[in-house]
Amino acid sequence: MKFYGVPMNTMRILVADDDPVILKLLEKRLGKEGYDVVVATDGTEAARLLDTMPFDVVITDLIMPGAIGGIQLLQLAKEKSIEIQVIVITAHSSVDTAVDAMKKGAVDYLEKPVNFDELFLRLEKISEIKALMKNAGDLREAMNVTESSAAQTIQNLEMINTNLSMQLEKLETILSDHHQDEVSRIEQALHLLESR
Amino acid sequence: MLTISPEEIKLITKYIYEISGIHLDESKKYLLETRLNAIAEEQGCSSYQDLFKKAKADATKAIERKIIDAISTNETLFFRDTGPFELLQHKIFPELIDARSSRNSLQKPSLKVWSAASSTGQELYSVAIILQELLGDLSKYVIKLSGTDISDAAVAQASSGKYNKFEIERGLARDKLLKYFTMSGQTWKVNDQLRAMVNFRKLNLMLPFTGLGKFDIVLCRNVAIYFTLEDRKKLFNKIADVLEPDGYLLIGSTESLTGICPRFIPKRHLRSIFYQLK
Repeated sequence: MKFYGVPMNTMRILVADDDPVILKLLEKRLGKEGYDVVVATDGTEAARLLDTMPFDVVITDLIMPGAIGGIQLLQLAKEKSIEIQVIVITAHSSVDTAVDAMKKGAVDYLEKPVNFDELFLRLEKISEIKALMKNAGDLREAMNVTESSAAQTIQNLEMINTNLSMQLEKLETILSDHHQDEVSRIEQALHLLESR
Repeated sequence: MLTISPEEIKLITKYIYEISGIHLDESKKYLLETRLNAIAEEQGCSSYQDLFKKAKADATKAIERKIIDAISTNETLFFRDTGPFELLQHKIFPELIDARSSRNSLQKPSLKVWSAASSTGQELYSVAIILQELLGDLSKYVIKLSGTDISDAAVAQASSGKYNKFEIERGLARDKLLKYFTMSGQTWKVNDQLRAMVNFRKLNLMLPFTGLGKFDIVLCRNVAIYFTLEDRKKLFNKIADVLEPDGYLLIGSTESLTGICPRFIPKRHLRSIFYQLK
């Protein structure tokens, strides 16, 4: 496992591939683009890394030796966080499996040999969507703060208003009770006001 | 994008009010354009007046439905605003179950909940999740959870119980998500057991509530804000008519019934308010 690039305000990408040449290449090119890259030589190591730190994107080969293949890694990543975007890399002959991966939640697939311009474009798209999502989240958060503050004010007013209305109703009943003389009506009304 | 003229704003807002009760004032130019432009283009209209004429002339009311779908706000999420759900879980449901259980020992206690503007269903499914967690074995109860909304598209989505990842990840805790939903591709679908607890149908809250029956709990949150004061008065009066005498009404956390319906009195529990009949 190696770290590339400085943690700028960018995405952290986990790359899993059992082909050391492809892995090295991906690590280098993505690092150059400024991404924070972490690499794993198989699915098992990738799965372990998923538990140690948060990732924005997982790029994985579909076919890897060992207990955890690309599809399993995809599922583990999605279980970890639905926000992790998974791109699968596949040989031309296994496009059907790649489509299956997309049905299971992968955002995209790339055929070997990897076209880096294509990969960078897709990562930019993911990054843009993440920024929009964050903006929407910030707006929602601002709305929630405003809403809960307004809610407390409105609830207080609602309760105060109800209590005052009930008081007023009682006062009206007492003051309009013609079976009693005016002085005792006023006395009762005053008593009610004082006992508030 | 087609620009809407001041005259068209008057015409269209009046039409929207007639078909939905949604009251838009003349400042809503941008909202009208952004939400109706696609329909106008799709219908090949050269202006909003043209769209209005086409919608009025359409006997199938398909355009009318599209306009309602576009104009009604479906901003909602699972457990939107935790207050009311805590209220349901810790106070209202336990109280109601007690009250309904002691009524008649021979019959299963029944609970009827109505989400009056159910949008895409998240509110009612959240209620279903709370009940499932609280009661465990639901076969000992008769539970009826009804959701209604004016938008056909919203009712259809609510009925399908399918949500994309943006809709699902907001508000819903991971354990509940995995327990009550199944992922298929980018879509999460509510489990059959939860789906079987609820039903959704179209209802315009401006129209009479015939055949609705009575409810123990009515949720009418953040919908009356789109209505005029007069229409709010009528709405909450009709809700009072369909609420059981010891039933509960929940409205949006920033809404108030002051000056709207004197038949209800507010009661406070923790940081939420609920309403009961006087």
